[in-house]
Amino acid sequence: MNSTLGKTVLVALVLSLASLVHATVDESHDFAMEAAVPFVAQGFIVREDYWNGEVKSGQKLMITHQLFKGNEYAFWLGTANENVALDMKVFDEKGQPVQIDAKADKFFMSVRVNPPKTGTYRIVFELKSKKEPSVLWALAYGYR
Amino acid sequence: MKKSVFVSALVGLALGTFNLAAAPQGTKGVEDFDPLAFPGKVVDDVVVPVPSEVFSVLDKLGEPNWRAELRKADMPTTSDRTKLSLLFGYTVAEGFVAVQAEDKEAVKDLGRDVIDLAKSLGLSKSVLPHAQSILDAADKSNWSAIRKEFDQTQKTVRDTMEQMKDVDLSQCVSLGGWLRGTASVTSVVKKSFSADRAELLNQPMLVEHFVSKIEKMPASTRDHDVVKSIRKGLGSVLQQMEGAVDGFSKDAVSDIGKTCDSLLTEILSK
Repeated sequence: MNSTLGKTVLVALVLSLASLVHATVDESHDFAMEAAVPFVAQGFIVREDYWNGEVKSGQKLMITHQLFKGNEYAFWLGTANENVALDMKVFDEKGQPVQIDAKADKFFMSVRVNPPKTGTYRIVFELKSKKEPSVLWALAYGYR
Repeated sequence: MKKSVFVSALVGLALGTFNLAAAPQGTKGVEDFDPLAFPGKVVDDVVVPVPSEVFSVLDKLGEPNWRAELRKADMPTTSDRTKLSLLFGYTVAEGFVAVQAEDKEAVKDLGRDVIDLAKSLGLSKSVLPHAQSILDAADKSNWSAIRKEFDQTQKTVRDTMEQMKDVDLSQCVSLGGWLRGTASVTSVVKKSFSADRAELLNQPMLVEHFVSKIEKMPASTRDHDVVKSIRKGLGSVLQQMEGAVDGFSKDAVSDIGKTCDSLLTEILSK
């Protein structure tokens, strides 16, 4: 009986921890969307697709993405972890930085890009935590 | 050995940090970024742009007649899930054209096609709320809401397919949508050719992404007649894109359009 109860408690704990992790992954996206709010007010259309994951603190990540000249883009990086320093830059095909107007807050940051050409761009970002060995993140974007 | 790896990693990290942090924002020519020497982790996931991202640029460059770009296609009756997935992507992309044309009836017809295709794919439970929102927003001519719902519908379907381990079908949704979107772009560009409009077709990374995804599909999907044709067609589209070093000629635009159109005809065949 005691053993059954113990197992039940353990399963419940594992399930609740799992849901907590999921909530945190979703929270990173929530923060990215919080960063998007002022942009939406300026006419940006938020894409529903986004990137997310977990990364070692301080590990740089690179995403390749198609941008179209004539649109203005905004990228929103969010994390659910506290005390994280965020950095994000966007590079064109020649490796030149093209991001403007970077803004950072406690749980998110944003940059804008006016692509000089239509083509492939690279978004490079990192999240450095003062406490955690790994950080959850989500990156969303919008255009106008 | 271990020490040299450590030193290399440290140098790489230091250079990477410098690259990422050195230049003032928006300052060109100050720093160089070499993706081949990137010291971090590359995220493989590719987010495929929705057609309206390209359409919005075309709108800024002129006033395309989007109503003329709408196609009234009869959905083939099929239980072939690969074809259904391609058709789903096609229909959502057509939905974006209908939004651009601000054609309420076309949006509603496409919303109903979305419901039928979702039923055939066994995904109606997750798609119905979005499809209903599309129909409701069409009644109110709320174009931005419809655009958002079409984007959400596609994401929901792809996510659900991936949860069901049907990653190849999820890719087919993206492929169908990209082909329809690109066919519309070539059609608009051909009618009013300019270098700026044609440049919108410079998407080799996306084509390479699709080719790579097809090559990783299970044989049953990869050897599907339509998928085989798409693989071949993408090869020819990629050649056109890679050959457009000094920009796309009108002929190149036309060739890309013809390839996409013939693949769409195959997708839509009974």
